Amino acid sequence: MKRLILLIFIIAITLGCKTLERAGISENLIATTFGAASKAIRPISEEEEYYIGRAVAARLLSSYTLSKDRMITDYINLVGNSVAFHSDKPYAYNGYHFAVLNANEVNAFACPGGIIFLTKGMINAVRNEDELAAVLAHEIAHINHRDGISSIQKARWTEALTIIGSAAAREYGSKDLSKLVNLFEGSIDDIVKTLVVNGYGQSQEYDADSAALEYLVRAGYNPGALKDFMERLIIKGIESEGGLFKTHPATADRLNEIRDKISFEKVPSSSVQLRAKRFSENMH
Amino acid sequence: MKIRLYIISMLTLTFLAASAYAETLKVITKENAIREECRFFSPVRIKVYYNDTVEAVSKEGDWFKVKYKGIKGCIHKSAVEEKTFRLTGLLGSQSKTASEDEVSLAGKGFNPQVENSYKDRHPELDFRVVDSIGEYRISEESLRNFIKNGELNLP
Repeated sequence: MKRLILLIFIIAITLGCKTLERAGISENLIATTFGAASKAIRPISEEEEYYIGRAVAARLLSSYTLSKDRMITDYINLVGNSVAFHSDKPYAYNGYHFAVLNANEVNAFACPGGIIFLTKGMINAVRNEDELAAVLAHEIAHINHRDGISSIQKARWTEALTIIGSAAAREYGSKDLSKLVNLFEGSIDDIVKTLVVNGYGQSQEYDADSAALEYLVRAGYNPGALKDFMERLIIKGIESEGGLFKTHPATADRLNEIRDKISFEKVPSSSVQLRAKRFSENMH
Repeated sequence: MKIRLYIISMLTLTFLAASAYAETLKVITKENAIREECRFFSPVRIKVYYNDTVEAVSKEGDWFKVKYKGIKGCIHKSAVEEKTFRLTGLLGSQSKTASEDEVSLAGKGFNPQVENSYKDRHPELDFRVVDSIGEYRISEESLRNFIKNGELNLP
C-alpha cells in the first residue's frame, strides 16, 4: 500500500511538472516556490518601465522643445507604427509614440516604454520614407531589447525591490516614498546619461541594427535603406557633428556589421518611389 | 488485483492532472483588445485593461485564443503575461496562483505615487508635454490605409 501511495505521488508530481513545462511556466513556479528570493530578482515591469520612460522623456524635453508640426508628427507616427507592429513587441504598455524635437543635430532617442524622439536634424538627414523607417526601426529595437532599462545600475533596482517588498500597501509611507523617489531619480539619471552622454554598448547598437533589418523586411520596407543612410552620413561627414554620433559606434563599423545581414529579397523600386513621394509631400 | 488498482490509479491521476490546469493570462498593457480573429486590426470584441486576467483556451501562432467575461476572441502574446495560472484539486482545495508575488506587487514599485513625488521635486519638468505625446493616437483605420497605400505588409 505504501508503494502504491509513493507511486501515485511520483506520478502526480511528474504530471504536474509536465503540464507546467508545456505552458512554459515551470521556471516561474520554481522562482515562486523558493519564496522571497524571487522578489529580489523580479524584473522591472511594463508599467514601471512606462513611468521610467515618461520621466526620461520629461528630462529630455527640458533640453529640447517639442515640434508642434502636426503633419510631420502624424506622418512619423504612421511610419513608426507600421514598423513597430512588425517588431518583436508590437504592443508596448501605452503604445509607441513618435515625436520631433526642435534641434539641428542629427539624433534620435528611445525612451523606455515606447516614446521615441527624432530631431529635426535627423528628419532632414533621411532622404525618403524607407530611410526614416530604418532609423525608427533601430530605435524601436532599443525599446524591444529594453536597452534603456538595462542601463539602470543593478544596485538601485535591488534596493528599490527591498522597499517595494517591505511596504504593506500600495501607498507608501513618507520615508519609503522618499527613498523610492531617490532610486527612481537615480534610475532616470542612469538612462539619460546613457542616451545623451555615454551611449549604449557597441553590442547593443549592433543588435539594434540587426533587429531593425528584420523589422524592415517584415514590414515591407527596403532593409538596404539603413545601409544607404549610413553610407551617406559617412560621405557627407555628418559624423563629425556630434549628436547621434557622439553616442554611437563609428558608422563605418556599424555598416560593416550589417552589410552581410541585409536580405537580398528585392523590394520593388516602384514601391520605394511611391513612398518617397509621400515622404516629400509630408515633409514639406 | 494489484495491477488493476495501479492502472485505475494512473488513469485517475492523468485525468486529474489534465483537468487541474487552466492557464490564465494577465494583461500587461494599459489598454488592449480581444479581437474577433487572431490578427491585427481584426474587429474588437471587448477592451481589456492592465492587470485584467483572461482565460487562455489555446494558442495560435503569436496569438492566444481567450475567454473574458464570457466573450471569446484573440489577444496578441505581447499584450499578456503567461505567468498566472491555477492549480487546483491535487495540490490543494483552494486555488493557488504561482505568481502570488506579482499579484501582491501589482501597482507597487515605480507607480503614479512615485511619479507625483518626482514631479513635486522637479517642478521645472513639464509632464504635460509628455502627457500630450502619450495621448496622441492614430486610428487603426488610418494606419491600415497607410500601410496598404504604401505597398507595405500588413502585420
